[in-house]
Amino acid sequence: MSTPAPPASKLRGIDKDGREVPLSLGVRRVNPVVAALTSVAGAVGLVLVWQLVVTALSVPTYIVPAPTDVVTSLVDDFDLLVSNLWPTALESVSGFVIGNVVAIVLAVVFVHNASLERSLFPVAIVIRTVPIVAIAPVLVLMLGNGYAPKIAIAALISFFPTLVNMVRGFHSADAQAIELFRVLSASKWEIFWKVRAYSSLPFLFSSLKIAATSSVIGAIVAEWIGANAGLGALIIDATFNFRTPLLYSTMVFASVLALAFFLLITLVERWVVTWEVEVAP
Amino acid sequence: MTAPATDQPVDLTVPAVAVEDLAVRFGTESGVVTALEGVDLTIEEGSFLSILGPSGCGKSTLLRVVADLVPPAEGRMEVLGQTPTRSRKDRALGFVFQDAGLLAWRTALENVEIPLKVGKVEPREARDPRELLALVGLAGREDAYPHELSGGMRQRVSIARALVTQPRVLLMDEPFGALDEITRDALNDELLRIWQATGTTVLFVTHSIPESVYLAQRVLVLRANPGRVAEVVDIDLPYPRELTLRETPEFMSYTARMRQILETC
Repeated sequence: MSTPAPPASKLRGIDKDGREVPLSLGVRRVNPVVAALTSVAGAVGLVLVWQLVVTALSVPTYIVPAPTDVVTSLVDDFDLLVSNLWPTALESVSGFVIGNVVAIVLAVVFVHNASLERSLFPVAIVIRTVPIVAIAPVLVLMLGNGYAPKIAIAALISFFPTLVNMVRGFHSADAQAIELFRVLSASKWEIFWKVRAYSSLPFLFSSLKIAATSSVIGAIVAEWIGANAGLGALIIDATFNFRTPLLYSTMVFASVLALAFFLLITLVERWVVTWEVEVAP
Repeated sequence: MTAPATDQPVDLTVPAVAVEDLAVRFGTESGVVTALEGVDLTIEEGSFLSILGPSGCGKSTLLRVVADLVPPAEGRMEVLGQTPTRSRKDRALGFVFQDAGLLAWRTALENVEIPLKVGKVEPREARDPRELLALVGLAGREDAYPHELSGGMRQRVSIARALVTQPRVLLMDEPFGALDEITRDALNDELLRIWQATGTTVLFVTHSIPESVYLAQRVLVLRANPGRVAEVVDIDLPYPRELTLRETPEFMSYTARMRQILETC
């Protein structure tokens, strides 16, 4: 289904030739090409200023490298960066999947068992307030130095937003639609699959988009505590060896990974949620 | 009486709804609230009854007891000669809510089809969803999503959805309350046409005096705190009714009478 065009202004005015024209309320349409160029120009300008300041003040490369140094590192250290990208990608994607699946299942249980929701939901919120940086060492001690603690932390960081949003999403179902299904003698199962599940999808995707980027952060933070491979390990390594351009290019790789993950989820959302959402999650 | 109604011919001597000394109470934080008390009522099959009253008089509650969404605390409620639960399970009831309550991810046609695809019992009789959309004036909009339809169109879809199982009792809870007056007038006329074409019993809750008189053969006026029957008024105006009827002295005297009863509520 194609997304409907935004409603045209219903206000009409008369132009100088006496023709009827739609009135806009002071919202000027910006050419999309111009808009895109403006934001690219902003980014390019920022990089230029960075280059100029670093060169003009002759800042040592190990303190702040110039953009050109970072590009050199991106090219020279490409193989090293890629080989460290895969462990982080694996950890964040596995953590993302596990964390979200557990969160969805728990939200389903909560929706069907109000007393369980009342007793466990506050506990989940309290655990959420403990900073992930504080939990990471605990999990490394428990799970060792391999992939397990990284996946666990990425899962944990993905878990909470999805749990909270899914509980809200299931409860967001239209009360009259649910009453209608009751009049139709629908089973709880039918109400769940035909009303609640669909109503929760916009909420699910808004939390999946948060989890997509934060699971990458979770994996990297876990790698800081102790890892032999991964972007987090590379960040620590580059920092302690004053390979600052490599540190910057690792950051570029980390944000590209997070961004790609985010875009993937956004594309899936567009494909799945084809209807208009009345209540913004 | 325990046998499913599917096996029985329609018995016209059995009223569509029979209520005896009905009371409904809700437990709230500040104690038990009596929503309805001492309600006696008989509604003949095929008739059109409006339920009118101030807010909080239990109009919607009465409808919800008929639909088996709310259990009675005391008294007896029979729908088509059996318990409301039985009638609900027989798919004999249709419900139209104030908000259309359409599923946003289904097209108009798919929304009308919902009652045919939900629940264990196959509906006794099913009508063609496309035909029903045409009946409510939405031919050609089958594939439109709810957000592409106006409020009035959405309510038309929900009426078509309620009619798809050929319900013997159609329960309408302020279905046109959120619509503008012009749309409301048009839908009132369509509802009368649909009622006469289908022969279903209609229970129509409203807080509009002219609407209650215009549509119904009888108006049940409820008073609030607790909800009780104030009066049942027979509307002796011939069908088919047209909007110009509203300017006649007979119509005016009915609305004046309703206003008088409501003032004492």
